[in-house]
Amino acid sequence: MANRGNQAGTATAAAGGAAQRPNGATQGKICQFKLVLLGESAVGKSSLVLRFVKGQFHEYQESTIGAAFLTQTVCLDDTTVKFEIWDTAGQERYHSLAPMYYRGAQAAIVVYDITNQDTFGRAKVWVKELQRQASPNIVIALAGNKADLAAKRAVEFDEAKGYAEENGLLFMETSAKTAMNVNDIFLAIAKKLPKNDGAGGVGGSSGQGRRLDRAEDGNKPASSCCK
Amino acid sequence: MTEEELLVKAAEERAAIVNKYDRGRENAEQIDPWEDPGFEIYHATDRYGFIHDKRLPSIQRIEIRDKELENSRLKKWSKMLHPNSTKVWDKDMKSGKLKKRLYKGVPDAVRGEVWSRLLHIKKTKEEQIGKYEEMRKLARLWSPDLRQIDLDVNRTYRDHLMFRERYGLKQQALFHVLGAYSVYNSEIGYCQGMSQIAALLLMYLNEEDAFWGLSNLMADPKWAMHGFFIPGFPKLLRFQQQHDKIFAKFLPKLKKHFDRQNIDAGLYTLKWFFQCFLDRVPFSLAIRLWDIYLFEGENLLLTMSYGLLKLHRRSLSRMGMEEIVEFLQIHLSQNFGYSDNVVIENVEKCMEELRRAKLDQNSKQIPASELAQNPFGAFVTPSIDVSIGRRRAEFSDEERVARAAVVARMELQVSCPVRNRAFNQFDQLIHITCISVEVPTTRFLSVYR
Repeated sequence: MANRGNQAGTATAAAGGAAQRPNGATQGKICQFKLVLLGESAVGKSSLVLRFVKGQFHEYQESTIGAAFLTQTVCLDDTTVKFEIWDTAGQERYHSLAPMYYRGAQAAIVVYDITNQDTFGRAKVWVKELQRQASPNIVIALAGNKADLAAKRAVEFDEAKGYAEENGLLFMETSAKTAMNVNDIFLAIAKKLPKNDGAGGVGGSSGQGRRLDRAEDGNKPASSCCK
Repeated sequence: MTEEELLVKAAEERAAIVNKYDRGRENAEQIDPWEDPGFEIYHATDRYGFIHDKRLPSIQRIEIRDKELENSRLKKWSKMLHPNSTKVWDKDMKSGKLKKRLYKGVPDAVRGEVWSRLLHIKKTKEEQIGKYEEMRKLARLWSPDLRQIDLDVNRTYRDHLMFRERYGLKQQALFHVLGAYSVYNSEIGYCQGMSQIAALLLMYLNEEDAFWGLSNLMADPKWAMHGFFIPGFPKLLRFQQQHDKIFAKFLPKLKKHFDRQNIDAGLYTLKWFFQCFLDRVPFSLAIRLWDIYLFEGENLLLTMSYGLLKLHRRSLSRMGMEEIVEFLQIHLSQNFGYSDNVVIENVEKCMEELRRAKLDQNSKQIPASELAQNPFGAFVTPSIDVSIGRRRAEFSDEERVARAAVVARMELQVSCPVRNRAFNQFDQLIHITCISVEVPTTRFLSVYR
């Protein structure tokens, strides 16, 4: 489709650094995690995912109705981490469907727009809800997106960083447009996720996520991780 | 202007034109881009107005044949759509001729008029003279949804010629239709998902007609989309349940496979139901489904959901969770794998199947929780909280029900991956939760949003 802004190669090319697609030679563990993106409408949730998964940016990213699902893999030393990403709708009305996507998630990125103070307030509400309702060991990252619009900044870096530290969240300012910190935030999450068997019983409550049993371990709910 | 002046003007015009030809390509800077065949948009725009990234392939023989077929039908359609009389239309509607022709395909040239009739736009408009203008004006002053509408107009079908230009004519129309509707139906206001529907209507109808089309889609019991878009989405939950029933009965093996892969209807039916398959199947097919949706009503949504899974059951049963979601979300919108005609024939068959099994009529009476509680168009000044967009700290009752239902679905799935046995239990659960909100029927309008 036309009118779709710049398309900058692949995710690997876009951000460089340590995040890389797995190559055939990768040995070692493969871990799979469910990650959900939450945040106010039009803060750039879908754009962050599109940048991370396809290395693209669309100026007029269509609004997400319900949710969209994508996957992407990053490599960490000898471990391959595969993210199953649920990208959700931002309008408040869709909030009531959110548990469908975040239950059983091992990680979440709560996104706000650095040029809009309201979206930061909204992000705090999401963090609170995740802390109360989601899996107890969920890794939460806070992303201040649209960092390329720093001239119009309405949320100070230090304010958000302070809040993130108080709440034990990972924090980065990102730009889906320029790719700044996009791979990095996913990578930081991958690093923080437990990657040994049975680590910390990720999941809690009932929700082990949707991606559970592989053929062999039929009834056993999947552990957070590695095979 | 006097006659003499007019003559002088005509002569000047003539001279200017002749001069351009005399200068030929010298004055290339005065040639507008669209005047040359090299103008890229010509080569990347499809017949519906969508602009693609790459040049479209040159027209295939089969497309020419389809177009000719469509044109050959135009005559009959024009007769049915006689501008001054609905006699032929009514007669053909009764005799089933209209239905037959409609399933064969509505020529795109008359689609606007056909949709307008199926949506009873003329009648509604006559009953509501001046109302649209009134709502449009109120919205400019009062609609608390303008912020969200503005965000979404900016990203609705920007790849379509009509909506490409920011603040272009059709973007203005889209903004006003959605704004006016947000004050006309204060229980829905504006909900994401409506902008594509309004934009689709605007591709075929003028601004006011699109408004009444949208309004009838929401309020007329034939489509009753009101229940889809109000807080808590009660109709979505009911339709997902009905879809599950149909799925389990007619495609039990595939249903079990979906359950094993933890694919809940909640993950793939939302856009199917809210937007009648827009963006989930190729546009040419989506508008044919819309033709039938407008003709048959809400049953089409369940029928096509079943029909789609049935057509693709073999491939789907070999896929894992990720592939299934990718297939349903993205792949089918790019390449459906069957021609539009085959899909429509399949829809007709499936509709018959569901009718025989008495699974077609989802619910003869619309549950009270899905109906509008307040009269449309009765404007009440919004509260301060609503006006400034302050969020409620707590969920409304409707939303709590929705959340409980969502969580219940998930829990059943986790505890009982193959859900057939848990079905009844779940049915009951939804039933109970629905009843519990129906008791206090006074809805607190100003609290919500």
